Amino acid sequence: MLLVVGLIFAAIGAWTDDTFYLRLATEALIFSGLALAVDILLGYTGLLSLGQAMFFGLGAYVSAVSLIAIPSFWLAFAAALMTGILVGIVGGLIANRVRGVYFALITFGMAQVVAKIIYNTRSLGASDGLIGVPIVKINFGLFIISSDHPVGFFLFVVAYIGLLYLAAAYILDTPFGRLLIAMKANERRIPFLGYHATSARLAAYVLAATIASLSGALYPMLRGFASPELLFFATSGNAVITVITGGVGTLVGAIYGSVILTVIKSYVGSWTEHHLIVIGVLFMIVVIFLPNGIMGVIRPKIVKLLGGKTLQ
Amino acid sequence: MNQHILEAKNLSIRFGGLRAVDDVSFKAVRNKITTIIGPNGAGKSTLFNLISGLLRPNSGTVYVDGEKFRNVGPDTMQKAGLARSFQITNLFFELPVAENIRLAAQILEPKSRWAMPIRASVIAAKRVQELLERFDLKSKAEYLVGALSHGEQRRLEIAVALACKPKILLLDEPTQGMSHGDTEDTANLIKSLSEDVTILLIEHDIGLVMKISDYVLVMHQGQKLAEGTPEEVRANAAVQAAYFGHA
Repeated sequence: MLLVVGLIFAAIGAWTDDTFYLRLATEALIFSGLALAVDILLGYTGLLSLGQAMFFGLGAYVSAVSLIAIPSFWLAFAAALMTGILVGIVGGLIANRVRGVYFALITFGMAQVVAKIIYNTRSLGASDGLIGVPIVKINFGLFIISSDHPVGFFLFVVAYIGLLYLAAAYILDTPFGRLLIAMKANERRIPFLGYHATSARLAAYVLAATIASLSGALYPMLRGFASPELLFFATSGNAVITVITGGVGTLVGAIYGSVILTVIKSYVGSWTEHHLIVIGVLFMIVVIFLPNGIMGVIRPKIVKLLGGKTLQ
Repeated sequence: MNQHILEAKNLSIRFGGLRAVDDVSFKAVRNKITTIIGPNGAGKSTLFNLISGLLRPNSGTVYVDGEKFRNVGPDTMQKAGLARSFQITNLFFELPVAENIRLAAQILEPKSRWAMPIRASVIAAKRVQELLERFDLKSKAEYLVGALSHGEQRRLEIAVALACKPKILLLDEPTQGMSHGDTEDTANLIKSLSEDVTILLIEHDIGLVMKISDYVLVMHQGQKLAEGTPEEVRANAAVQAAYFGHA
């Protein structure tokens, strides 16, 4: 369904030759990858991360550095993948020592520290960000997509985020994924089923870190730069709001939430700079009236439409 | 094959100044029911917590099939073949009944199926069906645990503990809060389970204990007061004084 919506977008974009909305939609999708990572932690494992942007931003910087050195998509991809896994393991070992609100605070703190380090590192462009990322030609053997081609790159991002989504959905349906869901429901029972709860939590953290990093890797390809703001709390907090708006624990809600919030931000932002007020009010309305987010409203209707039955 | 599948040797734990379990040793015979009785605060549940790895003892060792376990967590004890239920129902309340059992059974799957969707976990699926049938929960399979009655939750608690096909099953007051009829049914169920699993039971209903136990261990103020067959324990003067309240 997402793919169909994406194709319609692409067709309209190509037809009207209005690249602004295509670039905006591409950016919304890239940030939806970050929201996806937050949902794996919050919606499935029961961990609130307030610093997931750290991995998104690191992915963006690693990708930017790699692209500036050698403009190869696959190299940047591999670098972001390794970054996600390695930093995920280190960060997970630190953050998983505590639970609940302390976990949220530690993830927040780690992200702020890393963001400040980058902010103050001149060789990474310091507060100006790392600029001058070249246009990259993504070579698939049979065809080549250039990152400055709005329609082509948009479709590429649709496929890329779609694959991340499918991978996450697949993993969450394996025995390991079910274990994460069980952990959210009652973590104290897990060790008596024969599993080391801390290890499972670490694995979930690394998975979410990798997805965030791989999503962030696309950012400099679209915008030509990486900035320290990508790691700031505003980005992490925005991802949490995105997930709650879209529907916690639905995965796909993260993508819808991201698209909706980006559109609102762009429209409202065009006539007032106080668009955050509108987002804040929307967030409150969702939390109070739609506890299961937008997907909580849409999903039962889709299920009914398809003739399935809902769980009580 | 060792006749004593489980052995606890000199287990002790202190909580501050309280000796909750004080130098307790005992052996459990394979495929028999050993019941631990004693007044409230005697240290029965604490003893279970020490054996199942939830608490680490200050001293003492647990042996399963002759293998030594010391200072290990519940996941290690589970892998050694030990499973337990809880006095206060400890399940995944937001998940369906069948999924609760499946989660406990998925450890039976070969590692290769861990990379596949749970549809492929056929061994766990079969185990879920067996247990739903045996514990009379088939009609409630897709209900969330929170929607079950207390008695059904207690039954499910045993089913979940049993799902991983343990060698040793620790049941902490399985009939707690059950109606008289349900207690009777559960007692018969536990008796039938002991055909292929060694059971350690904590139970307050003395009538039930005398009926289904092969061996009884009496605890009092953290210490082992007596042990033996139900008849031996019933005839023990010290037990009568401490537990039944008359000499």
